[in-house]
Amino acid sequence: MSGLLDLFGDGFARRALLEAVMVGGLCGAVGVHVLLRRLPFFTMALGHATFPGVVLAALLGVSLFAGAAAFGAVVVVVVALLGTRDRVDDTSAVGVTLSGAFALGVLLLSAQAGFSRDLTAYLVGSIVTVQAGDLVTTAVVGAAVLATLAALHKELVLGAFDRGGLAALGYPVLALDVVLLLLIEATVVTSIPAVGTILAVALIVAPAATARLWTERLRATMALAAALGAASGVIGLAISLQWRVAAGATIVLVAATIFAVSLVVAPHHGLLAATTSEGPAPTRGG
Amino acid sequence: MNLVEPFTIPYMQRALVEVLVLGALAGAVGVLVVLRRLAFVGDALTHTVFPGVVIAHLLGRSLLAGALAFGVLTAVLLTLLGDHRRVGNDAALAILLTSFFSLGVVLISRTRGFTADLTVFLFGRVLAIDRTDLVQTLVVGAVAAITLAVLHKELVLRAFDPEAAAAMGYRTRRLDLVLNLLIALVVVAAVEAVGTVLVIALIVVPAAAARLLTDRVAAMTALACLLGAAGGWLGLAVSYEVSVDHDLRLAAGATIVVVLVGLFLVAAVLAPLRRRLAARGRVAAAEAVR
Repeated sequence: MSGLLDLFGDGFARRALLEAVMVGGLCGAVGVHVLLRRLPFFTMALGHATFPGVVLAALLGVSLFAGAAAFGAVVVVVVALLGTRDRVDDTSAVGVTLSGAFALGVLLLSAQAGFSRDLTAYLVGSIVTVQAGDLVTTAVVGAAVLATLAALHKELVLGAFDRGGLAALGYPVLALDVVLLLLIEATVVTSIPAVGTILAVALIVAPAATARLWTERLRATMALAAALGAASGVIGLAISLQWRVAAGATIVLVAATIFAVSLVVAPHHGLLAATTSEGPAPTRGG
Repeated sequence: MNLVEPFTIPYMQRALVEVLVLGALAGAVGVLVVLRRLAFVGDALTHTVFPGVVIAHLLGRSLLAGALAFGVLTAVLLTLLGDHRRVGNDAALAILLTSFFSLGVVLISRTRGFTADLTVFLFGRVLAIDRTDLVQTLVVGAVAAITLAVLHKELVLRAFDPEAAAAMGYRTRRLDLVLNLLIALVVVAAVEAVGTVLVIALIVVPAAAARLLTDRVAAMTALACLLGAAGGWLGLAVSYEVSVDHDLRLAAGATIVVVLVGLFLVAAVLAPLRRRLAARGRVAAAEAVR
């Protein structure tokens, strides 16, 4: 235990630890909603698509958060618009937007000198270099996102399971959808300094998917997902500091390992439980 | 802009052959990806071959062999993992994709010159490929093209009517595996040239554009091949022109993708026009019959 404390003794390591806990917890809680609405691919696209925003912001010398958030909002609109055309289904719309935005980011960066070093930090994160300012941003955005989730919990959950019911009760369904997408976007943007644009989706999806294997109740799932996200952050960071490997990627690997173990051993939904109790779990049709 | 002159230089020639082959192949496979709504699977495969590339690089073996091993491994895993009820396809994909990708990043972060290598693997270096790379791409591409040609009818049937395909005695799971392997082969063939991240654009964008312009699968496939190859050619020419004449370096792979997205947008603008023409054609035909 004291070894762990020693590891986090330096100022940069302590900041990284705080960032990992906050980002992990935030991503875990939001991830439950992402899974309920089957939005992992969209979240993935959002991560990729904020990339040109980050690059532009860096070139113009404005806040990276502002750049990423602005581009993320554009992508939310583009995906929504493309999806409404009858010939382009959602998945292809997301695919086109994702790759196009990503290429645009690479293009903008390639015109600069020092291309590959900056690029790597955006793509896979650089948690050990987070500054006090990043921590404040993470804390403020995280608190706002979690407060909104808590305040709108009932409406968002109902919207995930029964949109017709939500509309019949007189709630503005579309506005609630947009709010949720914006919350996801804020989460992705906030986690970019820690795990980067490509890996943010992992920290959002993996803890939530793990939590869903262990419990049925939604509030418990969210609490567990947040705890798992934070724990993945701490363990991953410790491993990366100990063996000097990339921190963001290690955090993701820890979260994925916890998921893989849960997939096998979890009660009711685990693979072991499915084979020992009543034969293989019924698979979805098709 | 000159579409021919840059390609008198040997390295530009090799790059051109490479992107023409890749564009056409990715376009053909992409039609099936778009019809089956498998863009996310394609994206997953582009990320999961990454650790294979890194391991091959660390061991000093052929990058293509490493990519191939991991591509086949994930194609099988994806086919198997697909139907766990509680986890869901999307979530399983997202986790598989990011954890494989992370494995690659962790492995490569141990080496010196980490960031430069990472950039090459992610975005390729189409201008630096040599004769051996080109031959490897052609061989992998040929295998994929032959498989596609032989099984095309079955794969299309599986896309539109899985129950009929199953009733006719086709093993749909096996066909799914074949398609996943085909996507993996395209990704593997493209790894050196455009890198693992931008391959997904070669697969999805031309096919999505072709889908906007026609309803028939054969025409869609032909169009997607054409658009993919044309995008590659134009992208290379633009990137060369801007870099040489305007002294603004533009990464070749990314330029190709941006040109492809431009072609997609043109298709999106043309699509409503085409539909109106088709509708008018039908009305005229009906009146002629009367």
